[in-house]
Amino acid sequence: MAKATYPYVAISLPANEAHPQGTTAFRPLTFATLTAANGQSIRCMVLPDSGADACLFPLSLALLLELDVLNLPKAITGGVGSQTNVTYYDTITIDLGSGIRFSAFVGFTQGMDPIGFGLLGQAGFFEQHRVEFRHRQKIFTIESD
Amino acid sequence: MATTIADLSDLLKDIPAGAWVAISERQHKTIAFGVDARAVLNEAKEKGEQLPLMVRVPDRNTAMFL
Repeated sequence: MAKATYPYVAISLPANEAHPQGTTAFRPLTFATLTAANGQSIRCMVLPDSGADACLFPLSLALLLELDVLNLPKAITGGVGSQTNVTYYDTITIDLGSGIRFSAFVGFTQGMDPIGFGLLGQAGFFEQHRVEFRHRQKIFTIESD
Repeated sequence: MATTIADLSDLLKDIPAGAWVAISERQHKTIAFGVDARAVLNEAKEKGEQLPLMVRVPDRNTAMFL
């Protein structure tokens, strides 16, 4: 069992009509190393999201991992970017550092590309970990079961 | 691998919205950026950063994540 605490990440968001000065979002993001079965690894940002049924990543990251996406099992998912997204699934090892390392059957979809980071959802992540958010302190803790 | 980066604002402030960015966590600086994630990763590797942090700059229409 491992337990690690991570700082929130500050992200500057561009101005828009509702926020003419722009704004800064503090998100419970951390940094992960994804490793595919082919041995390829990449570093990216991930965000624990208990509202996501599964772990989801931008399709671009699957291409960086050199996954053969057209031969991966796929499903149609909703809720990210559009009503329907083709999502390609593969088993990936996710290392969050500080001893938090696990494998999960994760999805890669173009609907996540504009967001640019991964979501750690219920299947594969929350079913194996406890997460505590301390927003005022801008830290969160992940503990593996 | 632990990281010391908790604020990306400075690193990303001059990068166009929507661009993929390769960041050296060791040097705490941007190594490459562009619209094509593969090209950005390749450029970072050519510059000696074998495992850069790959992030995407929020653009106006996707910045708010709800």
